Amino acid sequence: MAVTQQRVVSPYNPANAVTASRFLTLPPLYWAIAHGYHQWATLFILICGTLDKVDGLVARIFDCRSAFGEVFDAITDALCYGFGLVVVAAFGWAPVAPVVLVVVLGFTNSGLRFAYAARAGKTVNYKSYAMERLVAYTGYLIGFATADFEVGYFYWLFPVVMIVIMVHDAKRMLVDPLPVALRAA
Amino acid sequence: MNIVSDTVFTWFLTAIVGGVSGGWLVYDASNLWRLRGGDRRDPLVRDKLFGYTLGIVIALIGVVGTLRFHGVV
Repeated sequence: MAVTQQRVVSPYNPANAVTASRFLTLPPLYWAIAHGYHQWATLFILICGTLDKVDGLVARIFDCRSAFGEVFDAITDALCYGFGLVVVAAFGWAPVAPVVLVVVLGFTNSGLRFAYAARAGKTVNYKSYAMERLVAYTGYLIGFATADFEVGYFYWLFPVVMIVIMVHDAKRMLVDPLPVALRAA
Repeated sequence: MNIVSDTVFTWFLTAIVGGVSGGWLVYDASNLWRLRGGDRRDPLVRDKLFGYTLGIVIALIGVVGTLRFHGVV
């Protein structure tokens, strides 16, 4: 019987370094918002969002994709964008009610993902094509506030779309059978 | 303390919101078109259909938001 060895990827790899570097954009983002510098704040959230795209590219170039990297990326998304949303709301650049709703939904989504990983019995990230698109919208959401770009319109539509996606994903993660690859592992 | 003039900033925002939304609309519409013959009993195909459809909705929100910003709608 042939024995296949699973390749082990160190968590200290270039892709995860790029992911971690996104946290470096948060202090200057706060500084810019606290001082009322709209354009600088927009620049820092833009850098944070761009690095989110770069880490996936780096993972492919250096062939260092891993389940840990995917989860770390998702957690970094949540922390960076959660921080940005709370700060823009705290400084009155965005309406508080939809921001609170989005943060609550974000925590709920994280809980669903932990429950999915518990079902699978290992560190695994549920790939949601819809949520990937919404994460891009989240990055933009902070930018809409920093740039004063149709803030009310974008902030009130966001939770509506997020609820629709979460209802779909919750069924997929908690109710539907696990993918064959996970069941076999 | 600005980086660029207000006019440049306005058109930069238009490009990164309206431009990206418009591009994304085309991208997910073509993804959806390619999946039209897929087996809908396959959960992965259903996930993709749902994701691409929501991608189109989000892109439309971006396009309409940009038009609102410029007072078109």
